[in-house]
Amino acid sequence: MTRLTRREFLRTSGTGAGLGLLAAAGVAGCAPAIKGDFAPKAGRRVVVIGGGWGGATAAKYVRLADPSIEVVLLEPNQQFVSCPFSNLVLSGVRSIDSLTFGYGGLRSHDVKVYHAAASAIEPDTRRVRVGEGYLEYDRLIVSPGVEFQWEQVDGLAEAQDRVLHAWKAGRQTVQLARQLEAMPDGGVFVLTVPPVAYRCPPGPYERACQVAWYLKTRKPKSKLVVLDANQNVVSKAALFRAAWKDYPNLEYRASNKVVKVDPSTREVTTDFGDRVKYDVVNLIPPQRAGTIAVQADLVGADKRWCEVDHVTYESVKHKNVHVVGDSTIGLPVPKSGNIANAMGKICAVAVVHLLNGKEVPSMAPGNTCYSWVNDREAIAVVNAYKIEGGKVVQIEQKLTPSQSAEWAQHADGWARSIWQDILA
Amino acid sequence: MRTTIRLVAGSLSLGVVLVAGVAAAGPLDGPGAAKALACSACHGPGGQSPSNTMPIIAGIAPWYFKKAIEDYAGGRRPSPEMEPYAKYVIQAGVDDLAAYFTGQARQPTAMRPDAAAIERGRAASKQCAICHGESGRGDAAKGSPDLRGQPPGYLRHQMLLFKADRRNPADETLKALKALMKTVPDDQIGDLAAYYSSLR
Ligand SMILES: Cc1cc2nc3c(=O)[nH]c(=O)nc-3n(C[C@H](O)[C@H](O)[C@H](O)COP(=O)(O)OP(=O)(O)OC[C@H]3O[C@@H](n4cnc5c(N)ncnc54)[C@H](O)[C@@H]3O)c2cc1C
Ligand code: HEC
Ligand code: HEC
Repeated sequence: MTRLTRREFLRTSGTGAGLGLLAAAGVAGCAPAIKGDFAPKAGRRVVVIGGGWGGATAAKYVRLADPSIEVVLLEPNQQFVSCPFSNLVLSGVRSIDSLTFGYGGLRSHDVKVYHAAASAIEPDTRRVRVGEGYLEYDRLIVSPGVEFQWEQVDGLAEAQDRVLHAWKAGRQTVQLARQLEAMPDGGVFVLTVPPVAYRCPPGPYERACQVAWYLKTRKPKSKLVVLDANQNVVSKAALFRAAWKDYPNLEYRASNKVVKVDPSTREVTTDFGDRVKYDVVNLIPPQRAGTIAVQADLVGADKRWCEVDHVTYESVKHKNVHVVGDSTIGLPVPKSGNIANAMGKICAVAVVHLLNGKEVPSMAPGNTCYSWVNDREAIAVVNAYKIEGGKVVQIEQKLTPSQSAEWAQHADGWARSIWQDILA
Repeated sequence: MRTTIRLVAGSLSLGVVLVAGVAAAGPLDGPGAAKALACSACHGPGGQSPSNTMPIIAGIAPWYFKKAIEDYAGGRRPSPEMEPYAKYVIQAGVDDLAAYFTGQARQPTAMRPDAAAIERGRAASKQCAICHGESGRGDAAKGSPDLRGQPPGYLRHQMLLFKADRRNPADETLKALKALMKTVPDDQIGDLAAYYSSLR
């Protein structure tokens, strides 16, 4: 993660509506205590919770669709770090800096970016709580991504500082890359895959490729063990298995759900009681919707994910509250950045139509997930959808015929376009 | 290959990317605009692709847009990405989408190929003018598209696909074009791509 210098921090937060605006609202100081209605609403306002793939996109596109609507974005992180391509940081093929962007582009669309976390949602009064203060909204868009279910793995909650997930790109990605680099040749790297549904179905297998490629080229006596809670590779199975033919150092074990980790003995335990020793472990925990969505009662009976209308992304549980991105469930789509971006755009257009009392156009998202299988080749899965009877339905799924440098170059083109679509 | 990708990635600062994006983003009214939201993930906001690999589709001629979509959807122009998206376009309404992208003024690629390559490409371009015109603008009557300002990486790749008969394989109507491409050496293909991408 790129660390901000103090000067940069002051500059970022001072432009547009960072702490500068908080100060203007009468709450100055180093650690401003936000109190009361800290940014009173003048006209119509959309508040967005979460400045990731879904939320940042939605914030920008509400402004594009109707510049008379004020947009306030709440995001605790000063910078956006892309999860897509972050597996390449582990293999040293890309730097984390090349995946790190500021929020200046959104500010140039007059999105008011506050680097603070929403602490509660009050759908009845249409307020979002931020610390001791609050903000009013006409419509709310929630895109808080995923939270980890630490309690599902024994010993994990206490070991969070050593047993890394690196499943939210940033500091942990860099730390895991360092652990891998420091691992002695001849060591064992254990990667665990959580049960579905989780963020980015092909992500763990792309990571397996990157770690195996790194070990093969840099630490040839080492081994990668993949312990998958699922019965088979969840996405692009044939293409990943073909790629793994190049990695005799990769041992894949399906139906091996990890239920316990013990950093003192450097061991994980599966639900069958098998113990596996590691030198470095990357434990990707089971997941649910971001905490704010759970606390705000946006999740269904499973207490994990949020059900939404397939055309407007309005929550089925609370009116005027829309949910996009990884937190949603019920659409036949993967939890991908590409889908979060598509949902953000469609939801923004829907929200603007609703605020203007117009009929909402029925738009379906699209999906593409590229996965890098070594330092220069990739594979991809593409899904097209339509709306039928008010529901998202898949038209077609297509895979690349094999791995090649051609798809890797397309992946690069995709990333540049979509980062711009979200943030510029 | 790895170096190529890295060079491309390093050649544009985020600042440039951000500025280009702001200028490109158009208003969202009109039936095509909402339907086109699915395309910006790869072709960039408003179809103004910022990368070297994805084609710019802003300012595309409507007849060529429709032919490309039909060819992708029918599997004649093989593309794992565009086949599903072309089916989506047909579902959503190809005319609305064609009208939207045709209405976006094309901003030429930000990629800047080597000046010497551009000059060599200019000298080699006489053989192309008969179909693409002296200016590279294309010709509806001949079915040849506008090549100006497209990313050089995209143009080069498409010419190599023609040469290997991987784009619209065995298509009789493109016989002359492919026969010509087979005679063009690969490095000259790179020069021609550089030249056409530099035209405005
Ligand atoms: C290793 C890896 C590789 C991946 N590769 C790809 C890929 O190649 N292609 C692809 O399409 N997808 C990929 N993904 C998936 C993609 O990253 C996610 O699907 C995407 O980030 C989901 O977007 P989101 O908006 O739901 O969540 P995020 O992008 O995670 O955004 C959520 C944001 O909400 C903020 N937030 C949370 N709680 C609050 C609160 N209370 N108040 C304010 N803000 C809050 C968080 O700080 C965060 O910034 C990958 C994921 C991983 C982990
Ligand atoms: C996942 C990435 C991706 C998405 C999303 C995508 N495209 Fe494409 N598109 C491509 C690629 C890659 C090519 C070049 C394929 C080839 O080699 O022929 C292409 C080519 C095209 C072409 C042909 C351009 C030319 O000059 O011949 C058109 C037209 C087009 N796309 C339209 C669209 C439309 C309209 C959408 C949205 C509905 C869309 N695309 C969405 C990746 C994408
Ligand atoms: C006989 C006519 C003809 C000649 C000569 C010709 N072209 Fe073309 N070119 C076409 C046609 C027709 C197409 C569109 C094919 C299709 O419909 O898919 C095309 C497409 C292209 C494309 C793909 C553009 C895109 O957006 O995907 C490139 C690049 C290209 N030509 C370059 C050249 C170059 C360079 C030359 C000279 C070496 C050349 N062509 C000579 C007819 C011609």
